Amino acid sequence: MTLEIEINGQTFVLHNSGALYWVGKKMLLISDAHLGKISHFRKHGSALPAKAIFMNFSRLDELVAYFVPEKICFLGDLFHSALNKEWHFFEEWVARTALPIILIAGNHDIVSPQKYEELHIPIVSEWLLDGFLLTHFPEEREGAFTFSGHIHPSVMLTGQGRQFLKLPCFFRSREQMILPAFGEFTGTSVMELKPDDVAYVITKEEVIKISKAL
Amino acid sequence: MNRHELFDIAKGWFASKGWKPYAFQLQAWEAFLQGKNGLLNAPTGSGKTYALWIPIMLDYIKKNPQYKTKHAPGLKAIWVTPLRALSVEIKQAAERAAYDLETGLTVGIRTGDTSSSEKSKQKTKMPDLLVTTPESLQLMLASKGYDTIFKGCAAIIIDEWHELLGTKRGVQTELALSRLKTIAPKLRIWGISATIGNLDQAREVLLGPESEAFQNSTLVKAHIHKKIKVQSIIPEKMDTYPWRGHMGLHLIDEVAKIIKASKTTLVFTNVRAQCEIWFQALLEKYPEFAGDMAMHHGSISRETRQWVEQAVRDEQLKAVICTSSLDLGVDFAPVETVIQIGGPKSVARFLQRAGRSGHRPGQQSVIYFLATHAIELVEASALKRAVKETVVEDRIPYLNSWDVLVQYLVTLAVSDGFYPSEIYKEVKSTFCYQAMTEENWTWVLNFITKGSQSLEAYDEYKKVDIESDGLFKVNSRSVALRHRMQMGTIVGDAVMNVKFLGGGYIGSIEESFASKLYPGDVFIFAGRKLELYRTKNMEVLVRRANPSAKAQHASWMGSRMTLSSQMSELLRQELYAANAHARSPELHALAPLFARQRKESIVPDADEFLIETFKTREGYHALFYPFEGRFVHEALASLMAYRISLLSPITFSLAYNDYGFELLSDTEIDIQQVLDNNLFTPEHLHHDLQKSLNATEIARRKFRDISVIAGLVFSGYPGRIIKTKHLQSGSQLIFEVFRDYEPDNLLLQQAYRETFEHQLEEGRLIEALERIQNQQIVWKPCEKPTPFSFPIITDRLRERLSTETLAERIKKMTASYMK
Repeated sequence: MTLEIEINGQTFVLHNSGALYWVGKKMLLISDAHLGKISHFRKHGSALPAKAIFMNFSRLDELVAYFVPEKICFLGDLFHSALNKEWHFFEEWVARTALPIILIAGNHDIVSPQKYEELHIPIVSEWLLDGFLLTHFPEEREGAFTFSGHIHPSVMLTGQGRQFLKLPCFFRSREQMILPAFGEFTGTSVMELKPDDVAYVITKEEVIKISKAL
Repeated sequence: MNRHELFDIAKGWFASKGWKPYAFQLQAWEAFLQGKNGLLNAPTGSGKTYALWIPIMLDYIKKNPQYKTKHAPGLKAIWVTPLRALSVEIKQAAERAAYDLETGLTVGIRTGDTSSSEKSKQKTKMPDLLVTTPESLQLMLASKGYDTIFKGCAAIIIDEWHELLGTKRGVQTELALSRLKTIAPKLRIWGISATIGNLDQAREVLLGPESEAFQNSTLVKAHIHKKIKVQSIIPEKMDTYPWRGHMGLHLIDEVAKIIKASKTTLVFTNVRAQCEIWFQALLEKYPEFAGDMAMHHGSISRETRQWVEQAVRDEQLKAVICTSSLDLGVDFAPVETVIQIGGPKSVARFLQRAGRSGHRPGQQSVIYFLATHAIELVEASALKRAVKETVVEDRIPYLNSWDVLVQYLVTLAVSDGFYPSEIYKEVKSTFCYQAMTEENWTWVLNFITKGSQSLEAYDEYKKVDIESDGLFKVNSRSVALRHRMQMGTIVGDAVMNVKFLGGGYIGSIEESFASKLYPGDVFIFAGRKLELYRTKNMEVLVRRANPSAKAQHASWMGSRMTLSSQMSELLRQELYAANAHARSPELHALAPLFARQRKESIVPDADEFLIETFKTREGYHALFYPFEGRFVHEALASLMAYRISLLSPITFSLAYNDYGFELLSDTEIDIQQVLDNNLFTPEHLHHDLQKSLNATEIARRKFRDISVIAGLVFSGYPGRIIKTKHLQSGSQLIFEVFRDYEPDNLLLQQAYRETFEHQLEEGRLIEALERIQNQQIVWKPCEKPTPFSFPIITDRLRERLSTETLAERIKKMTASYMK
């Protein structure tokens, strides 16, 4: 279900839900949750299954129960679109989680900052913390290792007999790690794996490391 | 005026033109004037328009004796054609007769090309005859007060009904007719169809099973026999004939010779990319054709297409390279010769294309057939027999298409709203929904009002409201707007308009192709070399490229066609004849290929079923040859893959063509075990097939169209830029959400059902398995790929099926990834 890795002397745990746990800071990083997406579609007449709305929140609950973090940082695209009633479920979740939450703004985050203020969630454009840059958009910056989202990375694996598999992943290059999208009902975009890159693909059961280097 | 006098008016007009009405025309006039509905079976270019337009006018004359001086306003008849391109021709023909008979009747067109100002003009003053398409007719049902427009309408003609019958556009037409029957009580319904195998059923679907309209109907047949000559293009030397490929360019010189020798030639290709490539190749090798040759396919701008059509009529062109876009309607008298490149897959389509030439009475139609790869020559041989024995296929109508019903009900809700009790009866009376249960109906109503089967407090689903008096109505303007833009049942890939930098629309290409291009890339489209400047919104801006630049051809995903069951039967017979002595010239020409096949394997006889196995760099191949057509092979391949995977966990990549299918895996399969376990048994077929479908992607692809038609996916309107970014999502994702959270959703179920009923043709599958049961199975382990296997193993469009765990597969793949 998880895989532990080390970056610049710090320990991180990759979870197969797409979340990443920063052990030293006891902080959970989650990117591209796209809450409210199903409701947004339904509100506009596309009858997606309403049941799917609750899955994001129960997965968030499971994560908090598993890591017992001290804070949670969302790396952008927390709420998919304009406000809808799914916000109430988010409010409820914030209340029962009772942890400090920080949002790094993504391109989808158009809900009024005031709504976040009411929940005591600060919104920042980026966060530089002990040599690690937390941001929504991927970026390589000198002197820092970046954690970002936005791309919804996946890799395509190929094998004998013309087989291939497309799997969402944590995509790590030399100075940066792009997190997979946490949310249900979000697509992925296929990344090309260069020799220096590592993909940690996630499946229903585990996190598996894949790289071209031996 | 009595019928004699009326007939005399029409006959007099015919005589003034130097014509004499055909027997079928007289029969149609008579039946129509008797108040009958019906189906007219007549080919293109036979005078079918006047078979029905004349009696519509005579009926008007009868009811308005002072017709020459006093014009009665209001819509009198609707002419529905599946192709916009045909509307102009129908309008001209109808106007000519209306004018000469001094009826004062007007003819108008309403299609996707009609300007909105023209449409609003029509709204205040409807023409007497409206020529339109199924989609535009549906759109009219989405406008307020539509019932007053139609209430006086006395006739509706569904032209080229055979083209609509086996499609969801046909279902759309059935629904529109069910509504019109109620609001226009005097309506007579007539269909026009080319010859198909199930003409009687075609009439039943058109008029509604057991309906009053069906009771009071008749079938009128035009007995026009056309002489068709089929000629295969066979090179003198067979050793250069490719084993695979689908372009056929190796015979370009032969094609050029035929074009040069004939006045006007239509060259039919099966797909648009092939059309582009042939056009370009001919121009490069024979620059003298420049100016005398044109191209015609569905993605080229309408203006260009219309220009090409007119140029053919005016005998200005020597050759047109085209696709099915020229299959229908438009009457091209000057066409002398037709060339078909690649297997047409259906006898009916082949005959229709052959019929494009030699339109003048008494003339023989000549069609040349160019096989793109060696084995396709067997198809040529089979086609000749089909033409001789006049074999034609059925068009299978859809049943219970919930997606189309969802769209239709929202359409009615957008205009004036509807009461379910009234509409239920109409819908239930159609062929498509005759078996619909009350539960199904309730489900659909819940779906459009609540977006689910239960109402939750938190839900904000918005589409159709139920008003206090029980009226189902769309009140949201944005819902209505999106629905109107989204209507229609033809689903294609998202397309982007191609325009010159300085303006000028060239046509449209699929988004999937456009997304692979970078600024500066050169591609060939509409016969021109174009350089991409940039893509913006839904537009691809280009400029003329340097003529010597290296270019790629625009590609289209388009679905592949399959052999009809009649065609595969003929094909099998031809192939089994390969071992006999008396052979057709095509089979004779194939002798070297058969020799090669026999070296590694065999050419099966009628009582033999061939299986070949061999190993290549790619893995272990197992090939099976039922010769049943692509769709049946698609089903058989997943069925066999599924059954074999039950013996031990394995992952397969599946490929198929019209002759056979392949199971490719990274470990060897034991064919003896397949035979010992009797895996070809028709027993438990339905169950196993369902299981195998869940394991593959076939239903997922079907769901794509369904989700668009039912309004689950909002793809925006082609070419129009609308702020819908947050509403965009692939149908793939939507499929997964339904599969995981609402597996009993009727639309999802429909995706699986359609793969059985339409794509996989379960009935044909059972027949095929029963046939194989009675055949001797010949298993040939080979050293290397055989000529039969070659076109299949090199196919890259593949399906997958796996019973290994994901972790297991990743482990194997990472191992090979790191090599």
